[in-house]
Amino acid sequence: MQRVIVMALLLFSLCAVASEEIYEFDDPAREALFKELTLELRCPQCQNQNIADSNAMIARDLRRKVYQLLQQGKSREEVIDYMKARYGDFVSYEPPVTPATIWLWVLPVGFVILAGWVIARSRPTARVDDEDKLAKANAMLENDE
Amino acid sequence: MKKWSLFALPLVLFVSLAVFLYQGLFSDPRSRPSSVVDTPLPPMDLPDLMFPEQRYSVTDFEGKVTLLNVWGVWCVTCAIELPYLTELRQQGVNIVGLYYDQDVDPDFGQKTLAEIQQEVRLKLNQLGNPYQYNIFDTYRDYSLDLGVTGAPETFVIDKTGHIRMHHIGDVNPRVWEHKIGPMYQRLLQE
Repeated sequence: MQRVIVMALLLFSLCAVASEEIYEFDDPAREALFKELTLELRCPQCQNQNIADSNAMIARDLRRKVYQLLQQGKSREEVIDYMKARYGDFVSYEPPVTPATIWLWVLPVGFVILAGWVIARSRPTARVDDEDKLAKANAMLENDE
Repeated sequence: MKKWSLFALPLVLFVSLAVFLYQGLFSDPRSRPSSVVDTPLPPMDLPDLMFPEQRYSVTDFEGKVTLLNVWGVWCVTCAIELPYLTELRQQGVNIVGLYYDQDVDPDFGQKTLAEIQQEVRLKLNQLGNPYQYNIFDTYRDYSLDLGVTGAPETFVIDKTGHIRMHHIGDVNPRVWEHKIGPMYQRLLQE
């Protein structure tokens, strides 16, 4: 029984984001914004980790900088712009729409439209013109049974 | 006609996808355009690592071409490039170090400045000293302003104090000959 409970608990366990530093906020809204930003900003050194998740030094420094900027009363956009000015669009998990990235949105939609077109065109047109053949086939089926 | 397009369309899609992915196999995921190139150096007010009463600002970069090399004794690759950088210094290349320490946590300081200076002296005696001087990036803010992701990284600064190149990784003979050297020579002429 105990085993089952433990396994059930493991099934529902979530991964926790562990970082050593503790940043204190007076304003809960700002704290929420800090959490949101550290999840959305990408660590420039480690591939595919946000700065909340990474323990690389650069991620720690960026977290500290986000904290400082928020304590200075900077808004969400100002913090993101600050990071982008230094680390480029790479630092944000939300890519901007540019001629190079527009394909990310256009291609899937285009593909769906193309697929729809192909399916619409190749609808099976199963018609048997020959009444005689149909009758023969029915007769064969009946004979089988 | 229909049969032909049924065959050709998937083929074209497949080939273009294959070409796209094939290129990805050989692209370096770490290389990406730096956002600080062709901008002036961010404002600086930092102490000398060895003589903290001496402070540097961006005006110290004016009038000469400089390699600003970001490094630390804890960085393995930096130790590999130190001897080569020293060679470059002997050839007359102007190299300035931007030193930052990993163990100095600005919020919970652990290491004293004297300890850091001792480590640096030891390392430079051992491997060669390519630096005219070392700027101490005490809180690692300045490397953040430069878009540094880790050490070693090297910036080429022109005579007006603008960043003209941002090189991630070590400086070795190949990199110098093909990438940094030509830029450095060109900037000397400007």
